[in-house]
Parts: sequence; structure tokens; C-alpha cells
Amino acid sequence: MKQLTAANFDLLGQQLDELRAQTMAKVGQEDANHIRRIIVLQRIFEWGGRVALLLGFINPVLWFLGVIALAVGKILDNMEIGHNVMHGQYDWMNDKHINSKSYEWDIACDGASWNRVHNYEHHTYTNIIGKDRDFGYGLLRLSNDFSWRVQNLWQFANYIVLSVLFQWGIAYHELAAERVFFGKKKANRESKAQHAELKKRFFSKGAKQLVKDYVFFPLLAGPLFLWVLTGNFCANILRNLWTSTIIFCGHFTGDVETFSEQECQHESKGQWYYRQALGSSNLTGGNWFHVLTGHLSFQIEHHLFPDMPAKRYREVAPKVKKILTEHGIHYNIGSFLIQYSSVLKRIIRYSFP
Amino acid sequence: MLKKFITWLNQNLLHYSSVGAYWEPIIRVFKPNWREGYYRAQVKSIDSLLKDTLAIDLEVGASWPCHTAGQHLELTIEIDGKLVTRVFTIASSPSDITAKKQLRLVIKCQPNGLQTAKLSTLAIDTWVNISAPYGDFYLKQHSKPCLLLAAGSGITPFIAMLSALKSSADTEQSIHLIYYAKPEEHLLIDELAELATGFPYFTYELMHRAVNGDVYQQLDRFEKHAIYVCGPTAFYQGVAKFAQEYNSELHAEHFSLTPVQHSDKQAFAVSLNGKALTINNSTAILTQLLQQGEPMTYGCKMGICHQCQCTKKSGVVKNIRTGALSDRGEELIQLCVSQIITDLELEA
Repeated sequence: MKQLTAANFDLLGQQLDELRAQTMAKVGQEDANHIRRIIVLQRIFEWGGRVALLLGFINPVLWFLGVIALAVGKILDNMEIGHNVMHGQYDWMNDKHINSKSYEWDIACDGASWNRVHNYEHHTYTNIIGKDRDFGYGLLRLSNDFSWRVQNLWQFANYIVLSVLFQWGIAYHELAAERVFFGKKKANRESKAQHAELKKRFFSKGAKQLVKDYVFFPLLAGPLFLWVLTGNFCANILRNLWTSTIIFCGHFTGDVETFSEQECQHESKGQWYYRQALGSSNLTGGNWFHVLTGHLSFQIEHHLFPDMPAKRYREVAPKVKKILTEHGIHYNIGSFLIQYSSVLKRIIRYSFP
Repeated sequence: MLKKFITWLNQNLLHYSSVGAYWEPIIRVFKPNWREGYYRAQVKSIDSLLKDTLAIDLEVGASWPCHTAGQHLELTIEIDGKLVTRVFTIASSPSDITAKKQLRLVIKCQPNGLQTAKLSTLAIDTWVNISAPYGDFYLKQHSKPCLLLAAGSGITPFIAMLSALKSSADTEQSIHLIYYAKPEEHLLIDELAELATGFPYFTYELMHRAVNGDVYQQLDRFEKHAIYVCGPTAFYQGVAKFAQEYNSELHAEHFSLTPVQHSDKQAFAVSLNGKALTINNSTAILTQLLQQGEPMTYGCKMGICHQCQCTKKSGVVKNIRTGALSDRGEELIQLCVSQIITDLELEA
């Protein structure tokens, strides 16, 4: 770890722990109402969208609106509801259906697998090269920590493909890390699930999603089979592009730093916070934008406090910024356009040696 | 068949355990506090019986499966966004409920009890959630006389049993009730007096420990009786001792009032998926389960990743990060940041 002294790290840890405690003490009815309201909104968008797709034969504009509504429904389910509920942000509610143990989302990736790779590996070892596979997804070279290979020359094309197929990318994420189908297992990897189990759940969840959007709902539509099938396809692609883009803006902007395994050994809580802050970047925007990103526009706050109900990031952000700035730690924030062009630059920059 | 198919579709395509669970947030917009897997009930009156005891009348719908007198139910209310559940005995008889569509719960407020404190402030007509009735503490068929022993709020199941028995015309079952409480703290004595009038097979005595001594000393007269006891554990133990000595038939329901205790290194009994273990309060529960070789799922061990999350069915834990004590009832806890405070029942 660089820059800060041990005493500064302790103070940083203490300040952020205090901020967390203060905010968590306020968590209650307001947060429960928020997540239930978002679920209501999700149902309206998803089912409004599915019905509008059917009405496309009256006027194709309705089909187009249906695609948008269904995409928004899926985005709400994946981001503000699924991602946040599965982080345990609402476990304190004791609700049988809104908790990290039982929630399963509308996406090809099996929830339990995602919980292991994302909640544990990515959030615990954020941006530690070799421990956090989210850094480049084993597909993109995004820093000099990886030696250059010829295939990196066309990694921008790989990035586009990954974005379009993003749900399948994250579904396959743990299987790739475990080398279930190809390659030799990495020596330092600690397996949390059996290969047979991983394969079974990958195929079973993937198949259910495919049947839902490309068999069941199109068949229900009868003669409008193709309208619904293509509508569902477009909505899934839109969702993939949106989630992929938002997530890339959270971790792969130009200023985001990486860490080595050695420097993170015996890390204090303050150092852990420091790494989380430097490994993430925020986006500015309106409240509707924050909800559509699942509040991952507050990626820094999310990485500091992953199980805090996400809407609370809005109120802790100014305080986090103040604390980090006091310690001279860069608070990486910018508009969507600025952050995203910085991500694209990074992908292109590291295509070359 | 169709219902099964729809549930199957719901589980596999929408990933929710039931259709109701998927639509719950929408249904709640139209039916306040509707919850899948629970029954709805509406608060109709709240009376204070004594300084710390409430009687609550709840209106229940026709779908609620009526109880056998003596059974209890789970009452769930939302306190600041959090669902809190407690078990209470139903003080009404089944025929009362059928007639009035209302059931009565008699609730003793625990000191610092989050739920019981909230209950007294519930507005009339508030919707709450209840479970179906359950429990095997009810009057069986006997050829011998019965002795009912109650202490404190343990009187409630007996009120329900007696009024059920009184309204069933053909009974000749002889019943005697001994009811212990602190002076001036006997509950529902008007109801008891009313039950005793025109009910020749039923007699009762109100007792105080200071005057009448321990319950054990009262029992010599009743060695031929079938005994039913409901009260705190200490009260139950006296009765159990007698029943063992005289080989009496004993039916019991007792509740623990043991306060949360705390010393530096204290061991507690833990049931993990039904397996009995011992855990002490010196380190996090997860640390000790791993030391004992239990195959636990876990991740960061610092309260971040929620991998070691498990369901606590009962008992109290302390969150090591915040120092906050958990509720007594069922909830999700993170084992890596939980310290044991009382005996626990866990499902991983």
C-alpha cells in the first residue's frame, strides 16, 4: 500500500466505520418502502412491456415501446432489485422473498454462483490482480499488470461481443475461473463449488431463461410468435448493453488503480477501504438514472458499504467524498460521457504493448 | 393440477416460490399488509389488563383455519420496515371465533420487548399478519379428573379450553384450576368467575406464592389427576417433579423468561440443522463452527459478502460490528460477525 501512513489508515477506517454505523441506524421503513415500490414499478414495466409487444400488430410503435418497457423491467430486476437484494441490503427486513438467500433474478446467471464470485471474490478482493477476476474478466487487458499478447490487439471487438452477450458472460464467469470446460486449474484458487454443481446450475438457469423468452412467451402469443420473440431478444440485448456499460464505468475508468496480492496481505480495515475507494469510480446523474444503474453510479460508496440499502448512497456520498478528500484520496467521479469515454480509451490503450 | 402447473411455471420462469410471492408487492397496493404465506387479521380493540398485559382482539377472515382451544399462533407485525414475529396463545374458544369472527390474544409485555411495546401503540383497524394455529397443548379425552395449573400469563390457553368445554353441552369432565400470580396480578378473573357460574364440573383457586407456598406443595391432593401446566419454566419444573414422583399424566407448555446474560466465556447449546453443538461467546460463531469441522459456506469472514448467512430460527446473537442484539425470533444472520448470547437454533 502506498501514500498514507498507518495512523492515517486507522483514522480513515474509523471515520468510515462511524459513517456506516450512523447511516445503518437510520435504515428502516423508508428503505423497505423504497424496495417494494421499485418491485411494483418493475412488475408494471415488465408486464406492460410484454403486453405492448403483442399490440405491435396494431401499431409498430407499440411494439417498440414494449421493447423499451421490457428492457427497463429487466434492468430494474437485475440492478436495483436483484443486485442489491442479493448483496443482503434488505436482509434485515426478514421478508421471505426480499432477501439474499431466496432471491433469484431474471438473467442467465445463477444467483448462487454470482453471490460467490461477485459478493465474495470481487467485493473482498476488489482490483487485486489475480484474485478479482472482474478486472478484465480474464478477457481484456486493462493494465500493465498483464503482459501484452497479440490477441489483445482485437480486444475492442471482444469487448463489444462481451457487452452484447453480457448476461452469458457473467453466467459463465465462475465456470471460467474454475476452468470447468477448458484449461488447467490455477494453483492459488480456492474452489467454493463442485464442477458438476456449477455445470448443472449453469445449464439449468440458462435453459429456463431461454425457454421463457424464446419459447414460452412467444408460444403464448400464437400468431404473433415472431413479434414477441424478436421483442424479447431486443429487450435482452438492451439490458445487456446497459448493465455492461454501467459496470465498466464503475471499475475500468482511466484513473482506477490496481493492487498486487503482496501489498494487500494483512490489510487493515482502513487499507481495505482505501483499496475499495481507489478501485471504483462514480457517475453523476439524476435520481431516475441512479435507480436504473441500481445505484452503481455510486460505485465508490457501494464498494465501501456493499450491504447498505443502495438508496442511502445518495446521502452518504457527500460525506464519503469529504472524508476521502481530507486524506488526499482521489474521489473518482464524472458524467457518464466522460467516464465512459475514459473506459473506451483504457480498453484501446492496453490493446497495445 | 392446473394450480401445480402454474406454480411450476412461476418457479422456473419467474424464479419466485409461488404466484402470490411474485405479485405480493402489487397485491399489497390494494390489500394493505397482505403477505404470501400468512393470514391477514385486523386489530379491533386493544385493552390494557394490567400494567404490562394487553388483550388484543383481531378480526380474522373466513379462510383462517380455526384452532383447537389451547393452541397458539404466530403474530407478525412490521416495525420500522422489519418483520417481527412472536408466538401467542389464543385466549378465545373456537365457537367464540366462529360467532364473532374475532380472536383474543393476551400478551404479556416483555421489558425492552420490541414487538410488545409496538403492539400497544397499534391503531384500531391496522392490518397485521398471523399464522395458522398450531401446537399440541389442548384438552385430551380423559376418564379421570383434570387439574389445570397456570402461572402469570399462562392462564390464556385454559380460558380458551374452559370456554370451549363449557359451550360443548355434553361434557361431564371434572376440572380444577389452580392459578398462581403475584398479588393483584391475576389476569382475566372476571372471565374465570363467569366460566364457573353454571358450570358445575369446574372449580378454581387463585393463589400467591407468598401465602400458599410453592406449587409443589399444593399437589398432594391431586395424585389421581391428569395434569396440564402452563407458565414459566421454573413453575413447570416444580410440577414436573411431582408428576414424575407420582407417575401422573402431564401435559405442559412453558416459556422461558431468562434474561440475556453475559459473562466473558460462556458456553451455549446450538442446534445446527438439527445437530447439537456447543459454542461459546469468546469468538464469532463461524470461527468456532469451522474449528469444530462443520462444513460451512463462507467467504470474506469480515461481514461483507453474506456467504455465511444462515437462518436463525430462535435465540439471540450480537452483531460484533455494531454491538446490536438481534431479535429472538427467526431472521437471517451473518455467522462471521455474530457472537452467541443465548442458545440458538440455526439452519444453514
